[in-house]
Amino acid sequence: MKQTLMGNDAIAWGLVHANVDMVSGYPGTPSSEILSVVQSIKHKLNLDIYAEWGTNEKVGFEVAYAGAIAGKRTCATMKQVGLNVASDSLMSASYIGNLGGMLLIAADDPGFHSSQTEQDSRVFAKFARIPVLDPATPQDAYDLTKYGVELSEKFQIPVMLRPVMRVCHAREIIEMDEETNFAPNKGEFKRDVPRWGAVPRTGRFEQGVQQLNRIEVIKEYNWDHLLKPEFDRCEGKKVLIIAGGTGHGFTKETLSDLGLDADVVKVLMPYPLPVEQMRDRFKSYDKVLVVEEPYPCIEEQIASPNVYGKNTNTTHQIDEMSKEAILKAFQNIGFYAGENIYATPPSLDFEVEARPPALCPGCPHRDVYYAITKVFKKKKAIYPSDNGCYTLALAQGAIDSILCMGASVSMASGFSISDPEKTTVATIGDGTFFHSGIPPLLNAIYQNHKFILVILDNSTIAMTGRQTTPSRSNKNIDIKKIVEGMGVDCMEHQYSYEMQDNIDFFREVKKVHADATGPTVVVVREFCILDRERAPDFIPNIFVKVDADLCVACDQCTTIYKCPPMAYNDDGVIEIDPFLCAGCGGCLDVVCPTDAFVQDFDYLKRGN
Amino acid sequence: MKYQIVIAGFGGQGVVFLVKVLAICAGNRNVPFLGTENHGMSQRGGSVSCDIKIGGFTNPVIDKNQADLMIALEKNEGLRNLGFLKLSGTLVTNAKDKDEYPELPFEGFAKIDAFKKAENGEFPIQGLNVYMLGFALINDANFPFSIQEVRDAITQMNAKVAAQNIVILDQAMKDAKELK
Repeated sequence: MKQTLMGNDAIAWGLVHANVDMVSGYPGTPSSEILSVVQSIKHKLNLDIYAEWGTNEKVGFEVAYAGAIAGKRTCATMKQVGLNVASDSLMSASYIGNLGGMLLIAADDPGFHSSQTEQDSRVFAKFARIPVLDPATPQDAYDLTKYGVELSEKFQIPVMLRPVMRVCHAREIIEMDEETNFAPNKGEFKRDVPRWGAVPRTGRFEQGVQQLNRIEVIKEYNWDHLLKPEFDRCEGKKVLIIAGGTGHGFTKETLSDLGLDADVVKVLMPYPLPVEQMRDRFKSYDKVLVVEEPYPCIEEQIASPNVYGKNTNTTHQIDEMSKEAILKAFQNIGFYAGENIYATPPSLDFEVEARPPALCPGCPHRDVYYAITKVFKKKKAIYPSDNGCYTLALAQGAIDSILCMGASVSMASGFSISDPEKTTVATIGDGTFFHSGIPPLLNAIYQNHKFILVILDNSTIAMTGRQTTPSRSNKNIDIKKIVEGMGVDCMEHQYSYEMQDNIDFFREVKKVHADATGPTVVVVREFCILDRERAPDFIPNIFVKVDADLCVACDQCTTIYKCPPMAYNDDGVIEIDPFLCAGCGGCLDVVCPTDAFVQDFDYLKRGN
Repeated sequence: MKYQIVIAGFGGQGVVFLVKVLAICAGNRNVPFLGTENHGMSQRGGSVSCDIKIGGFTNPVIDKNQADLMIALEKNEGLRNLGFLKLSGTLVTNAKDKDEYPELPFEGFAKIDAFKKAENGEFPIQGLNVYMLGFALINDANFPFSIQEVRDAITQMNAKVAAQNIVILDQAMKDAKELK
């Protein structure tokens, strides 16, 4: 059956068609849609599938992994940096293995589109000694999802699928199974303590030996089923290109655009590689070029004197793949001497003002950060923060450090110890708090670290597409109670569109903190402006315009408050873009020193 | 047929919607295509550019100097992405009348102040993406799909708002013809 699908949709269908009936994980761009599409297929076809988010990637991995131990076919889905969080579980699971197939999906983000690192999950698979599959297109993603689940069940080891953003968020016509005959494995845990409960040294040592043997067997399998047919198709050209994942599609197009001819081998399983057999085939070529992203995973395995890639400075070492990068690699190995057809005339390089992402108009985070910086002045404060939409408050000068999920809390500990003269005010969202903010807060309470932690609770994982948080699904879970259960008070504030309320609250926090001996914890109850279910209850529909006579062009609103509708017009006066104003009323109070923002009573009457 | 289209705008303008409409057009005609979309962080009001390559391509990204058509939903987002358009291509852009627009070397060029038209209530601002698609349909002589194919795709995308979107599409095509 032909269907137009995005890569992540194709992966979700692949899971269902592989009879996977347990999917867990944690949202993260570019992987997020996979689990939610499984949920929608489940509802559409009325299938009995467990498809639920875990509190973090480690939890998600372990839920899915136990399912596979009990014989079910399962999947854990996450982005590449999420795999860092799940890595402890993965490293051991790759020794112990599983009975039912388990697909680990780690979606990579070459080019740093929405990620703090460009790390390569294929290298992680190699580190963990599990096989990894690298789709080039959404069609590949569908096929390799099914293949990976089968492979995992065959070799009794988790198999990784590593799609990159240009696969996850690419769209094409997919040829997929005509019908969905969903027949999941029955789960039945079979006690096998020497295997599932293996401990050092004897138990794990033995599994380590098995792991090495298994990888050798999979290498042979890779050669026989995937690589040998590719090499056998080669026609003895002068140049051989070894292309992994998206590198294959980019290479094919570059060759065709430039009118060049080379043998191209597509690598679907970049680890483990049958290195000896491959090197044997390299002998007949002048040059072998490896095209892959983002790290030299294939290249390092097959390194030989005539193999070129990132480590020989032949191909690009950082940033996303492009045909121009491949053209330059062709030039570097003397395969192409013509002009750069992917260059544009310099006359087309216009200086265009950057348009970085920003907090949405009407987002409560903006007002809360504004209030925090009003009360805790920059010179005497340190603002560690975390991963989420609120990271965008960087633009307000309200954030000093970003590391990784949950680090705001533990770094607040570190800053409070190393620079006690300043007040450390850390911010973390509710999703991130549940993900990995609880253990470091426990540590801070345990060790009496004196800082302020502000938990911004908008009841959703907003940045990745508003997935549900634990407390949204189960009202018995409450951040305030969790904090109190750890042994400290939790101050609570309902975000107000009247800025003075927020400022007054943080002044109170400052007072409490002055006498505290440990962390002062605060939860601010907010909402997400894009949350169709909750936002309408909170938005006051107070639209704003500017009294041009009062505006003195002081830049306060454009540099500190930074709401996207505010910009100078041709007369040098701030104007509110009526298309963008969300009607939150947040700027009416305090924000403008001359009170130039006034309510626009006619806004709705004008048909907006 | 091989045709490469860049759609440039910023988060919230419905750039991805247009990729999906064009994907449906291609799918309905059973022409292979590859598109790529921005999701996640880049959607928060930041610059967004999506590509769709129609015909037998093997990767979804449009390289510089390759696009046949660029639809820019905002002036600066168009200028930012000019490098992707080849000189024989067509640029269709939304740009304010009062703003100066540079001389450009492309074979096809058309601009319209769609923001002003929305401000005047000629169409709802949420339909700016569809409006610019309609504007492109008239101004790109080589546009790969017929008006009917686009109408059908818009209906398939979301039947509930299809009627309103088709009114906007028709309005844009009428405006485009009047400007010509």
